[in-house]
Amino acid sequence: MSQWLSEVIAEGQRQNDWLSGNRQQATAALANVKWPVRRQEAWRFTPLVPVEKRTVSLAGPSEQQSTAPVIDGLEAYSLSFTGNQLSDEQGQVPEGLTFTLFSKADEAQQASIQALLGQVKPSHHLFGQVNDALLTEGVYIHVPANTVIDTPIRLTQLAASAGDQHLRVLVHIEAGAKVSVIEDGFGDADSLNTFVSEYVLEAQAELEHYRFAMYTQQAMHVGSCHFKVAEKAQLTSNIVGYGSVLSRLDVDVEYTGEFANANLNAIYLLAEGELFDLHSTIEHAVPNCTTEENARGIVGDRAKAVFNGRIHIHRDAQKTLAELNNRNLLLSRRAVVNTKPELEIYADDVRCAHGATVAEIEEKALYYLLTRGISRSQALIMLNFGFIQELITQIPNAAVSDWLLHRLRERFVSMEVK
Amino acid sequence: MLSINNLHASVEEKQIIKGLNLEIKPGEVHAIMGPNGAGKSTLGYVLSGRDGYEVNDGSATLNGKDLLELEVEERAREGLFLAFQYPVEIPGVSNMEFLKESVNALREHRGEEPLTAAEFLKKAKAACKQVQLPLDFLKRGVNEGFSGGEKKRNEIMQMILLEPSLCILDESDSGLDVDALQVVADGVNSQRDGERSFIVVTHYQRLLDYIKPDFVHILADGKIVKSGDASLALEVEKSGYAFLGKAYEESEA
Repeated sequence: MSQWLSEVIAEGQRQNDWLSGNRQQATAALANVKWPVRRQEAWRFTPLVPVEKRTVSLAGPSEQQSTAPVIDGLEAYSLSFTGNQLSDEQGQVPEGLTFTLFSKADEAQQASIQALLGQVKPSHHLFGQVNDALLTEGVYIHVPANTVIDTPIRLTQLAASAGDQHLRVLVHIEAGAKVSVIEDGFGDADSLNTFVSEYVLEAQAELEHYRFAMYTQQAMHVGSCHFKVAEKAQLTSNIVGYGSVLSRLDVDVEYTGEFANANLNAIYLLAEGELFDLHSTIEHAVPNCTTEENARGIVGDRAKAVFNGRIHIHRDAQKTLAELNNRNLLLSRRAVVNTKPELEIYADDVRCAHGATVAEIEEKALYYLLTRGISRSQALIMLNFGFIQELITQIPNAAVSDWLLHRLRERFVSMEVK
Repeated sequence: MLSINNLHASVEEKQIIKGLNLEIKPGEVHAIMGPNGAGKSTLGYVLSGRDGYEVNDGSATLNGKDLLELEVEERAREGLFLAFQYPVEIPGVSNMEFLKESVNALREHRGEEPLTAAEFLKKAKAACKQVQLPLDFLKRGVNEGFSGGEKKRNEIMQMILLEPSLCILDESDSGLDVDALQVVADGVNSQRDGERSFIVVTHYQRLLDYIKPDFVHILADGKIVKSGDASLALEVEKSGYAFLGKAYEESEA
């Protein structure tokens, strides 16, 4: 066990509030955890050395940036969290749903939160349990049956150097309801955050989900998103990752009812020296569900991307359709990608495909652009960026799509092809 | 305007062009015909500067500039345009973005101001209409999911927008039905202004009914073996390449 983890356990045991029950469970589990080392598959390419060396301190109020970057044209109910506290609020709670901050929950709401907390997230996630033990603020959203919420909810986590941050998001979407949630995170300050979100989609519910982990430099991020998807429910999730000294995102989807589907798009764009690790696990536990997952990344000089996409098709999950694709483009000989699509199939009547590619620039396409007078550097930008632009333009929210296109393009242009 | 002397070129050390000579004056249309494997497509690639096509001997100048010394994009900026037989699909780069980048790259080279988005859109719409492509083709990925005929028309649209001084059309007729052929030919003929020159590479005399050539050359085994006027194409149509005799048999082998 690392010194850091011992401190996490001590801090979790010390906290005495209405979440103590959940904290005790988590600290008890953490006490038995073996600190991950590189020999463990889940952490093979992502060393936790920078975490080991930290001392635990929970961030208080911060003087750093406390408002989220503006997304032009996005009309959302937006909350920003800095240093474990709400630091900005824009817009109104959309009509038709209940929205509760953990810190302001009344007794009945506390009971709902306690009942849902940790019910979607698999228990094996070490940093998920750290979040259980230390979370101080969170958001609980409840969308009643057959309610369509048009206004997206945006929840922004801003990394502050004051200490560690453990934000939690719980969303319960009842049958036939529909909602869109944007989770984003920014910052480069020396810090550590676990940003955990859990979603329950009941029958025929629809969720349009976004998670942008745009942490850079010294801002460490070990976050996760977890979904339980019931009969005929539909999940679309769009993920964007930058890299920092350590940035890791775990995504879990579990189908609990038939004829549900999930569409996952992930983009990572890593500048010089950055690390980003995306692990996804899709549990096809029941028949007739459909998964389509596309992850595409551009990896700059001396940067490292890790992609592990696991699709687990249980014995009873007949008629599953699952496609997993990961494409990478390296901008330098010193860029690294470790990609591993994993299909584990125990049913015999399924249609599955998976693939991973790591490429450099396509010569024919480059030649074509050059023959039209376009400069080599501009052509490289057009081709490389086109590779992820395809996924950006598929994003259903036009304002978010435009914002991302602009932001990612700017980031890309500043990266060098070596 | 284009002057090719004793050109020798190879691909992966295989000699394809073996001493080719060609003089083209402003405003002329030259058709190049010939059996498979004669080096027709290779000529376009060599002139445009494709990687892997090595010039071993000879020279090629365009408007007095040594083409072979220039980068691919510089040749394009000097007025060379190659319409591909099989244009590549580039998903993710919109046709509009691609066309605007190339038009403005050429304008910049000529010392002109770049076109604004609105100015460009107007031109692009007109060109799109001229080759009878629906306007939504501008929004789609470059050649992405286009049919063979649509790709060919997209090439002609680019030619219209880029206003080159020398156009090489590499089998722009292949795979086209009569209507599409008419559209492509009309596009080309609209660009004949007495200054702009064309090399029309084709297997079939049919295209030359629509685009009237000033000269017809027969390329076989890396060399021009026979030149004449439009009647030469008719002769080929009628009796094939048998008149090539030995050279033809070698190239077929």
